[in-house]
Amino acid sequence: MSKTLTKQKNKSSLVVKTLIYIFLSFLAVIYILPLLWVIFVSVKDDKTLFVSPWAMPERLMIENYTFAWTAGKLGTATLNSAIVCVVTLVLCLLIGSMAAFAIGRLRWKFANVMMTYFLTGMMIPVHCILIPLFTRFAKMGLTNSLLGLILPYLTLSLPLTIFIMTGFFQGMPNELFESACIDGCSIYKIFTHIAFPLSKTGLFVTGLMTFVANWNELLLAMVFISDDTKKTLPVSLSKFVGPYNTNYSQMFAAIVIAIIPTIVVYCCFSNSIVDGLTQGAVKG
Amino acid sequence: MDKLLRDKKAIILFVAPAFLLFTFVLFIPICQSIYYSLCDYNALTKPVFIGLENYRQLFTADKTMRIAFKNSLFFLVFSVVTQLIVGLILAALLTNIKKGRNFFKNIYYLPCVLSSAALGLLWMFIFTPKLGINQVLAQFGIEGPLWLMDTKGFIILPMWVIASVSLWQYVGQSMMLYMAQISGISTSLYEASYIDGCTKVQAFRYITLPLIRPMMATAMSLNAIGSLKFFDLIFNMTEGGPNHQTEVLATHLYQQGFKYFKYGYASAIGTVLLVLCLIVTFIINKFVKMENYEM
Repeated sequence: MSKTLTKQKNKSSLVVKTLIYIFLSFLAVIYILPLLWVIFVSVKDDKTLFVSPWAMPERLMIENYTFAWTAGKLGTATLNSAIVCVVTLVLCLLIGSMAAFAIGRLRWKFANVMMTYFLTGMMIPVHCILIPLFTRFAKMGLTNSLLGLILPYLTLSLPLTIFIMTGFFQGMPNELFESACIDGCSIYKIFTHIAFPLSKTGLFVTGLMTFVANWNELLLAMVFISDDTKKTLPVSLSKFVGPYNTNYSQMFAAIVIAIIPTIVVYCCFSNSIVDGLTQGAVKG
Repeated sequence: MDKLLRDKKAIILFVAPAFLLFTFVLFIPICQSIYYSLCDYNALTKPVFIGLENYRQLFTADKTMRIAFKNSLFFLVFSVVTQLIVGLILAALLTNIKKGRNFFKNIYYLPCVLSSAALGLLWMFIFTPKLGINQVLAQFGIEGPLWLMDTKGFIILPMWVIASVSLWQYVGQSMMLYMAQISGISTSLYEASYIDGCTKVQAFRYITLPLIRPMMATAMSLNAIGSLKFFDLIFNMTEGGPNHQTEVLATHLYQQGFKYFKYGYASAIGTVLLVLCLIVTFIINKFVKMENYEM
């Protein structure tokens, strides 16, 4: 009796499992298909594009890519994006973890107040500061320069960095700092030689999050930069859409160029990115 | 040791750069923005104080604002509700399977790290009237709707399309948050419930759900703020068109501020957005976040 019951139970759980897998695979297809479609269309020419969705191109149109890269100025745009993101990343990790160290480890009355001050930054939509920032930067000559992008990006990335890093520094064992202190370490040395190197995981996570967020940022870049040679990647993409005619296959080549680096990085580290992001998010 | 940690000079040195940046790039501009919203101010003139005139115009005379407000609220409700439901379902399913868990997790999370500007262009193509999905439908003899051009109904079709695309892109984030919280629940709780004859669904209802409630508050407020800030996808999919029907607060602000250069007016929209963000965060944290259970 009980044997048949367990058998039945096993059978029904097997059915449920299969159903779950079918559902998950179906969703996965929805996620992958559009991305594959981009790559497929990007090697077609515009004529076969209108004939049928499955029409194969007569030959691979690599020109789409070279056109997007040179005439669409995606080369410069990629370089600009890389400069802005890397500079922001380095500064953000340094400044952010310094503040986090002071909040999480040093003892002073206003540590909690300071933390709240930084955390409110997470709730504020960037649109609110767009206009005052734009008018002031225009006066200071910071529009149309990469520095003008780095400053707001840096500021907007700080709250999350400080938040995650504070958690990290607070989680470190006390003995570590005590023994360093007995050995006559100064507080600056404790930070640069002990706390900072030991928080590698935290730095990796926050670094990735900052980098991804800034790499994809559109609004600020669009408002602050009007010079073609200073545009970042997301901004120069929208150039491929015209009000009257859009060259789809070239636009798709541009999209592929824009998202391939992120996909490659994601595939290399996907597990540690995903785990790290969760870790950061849980603390957040 | 204690003396070392109370070193005032070091504290100031460590906090100063972040504090100064924050104050000058974030907090002073916010105050300025609120002041500008009370001014008549455009690209050519200096700000002149006019009181609440901008807000009066915004709420009584501006038709686009009404549409934008409606769309933003729709967007807010849609994304908070659907992300909660779909995110929870995905998290529950993924924590229940062993094989391929990482594979599916990574795939669902992928769009979150991609540029929404690029994805917006991609989806714009897929929903073009004569290409993309309608081309596929035409092969089966079905005439698809004008996905991004339709303007019938209270909440028009393009808004549903855009909202679904944003669900597609960002649901991975909520899923990850819930998964992280679920994996933190001790297995002995589940074992005890199974011994007592609980089914998996019951265990989810009576153990998982109450225990991840604090995370629900976090995820929901993240979603809510994210959906109010929402700009990239709409800008690249419809640019607020057709005829301003898909405008949301963020795109309306961009149009007024940087197409017509009405800085004062746009600042008023920004302030409305800020107030909405604060109210929504407050409400969610008040009603969803309950006492923390011991785990």
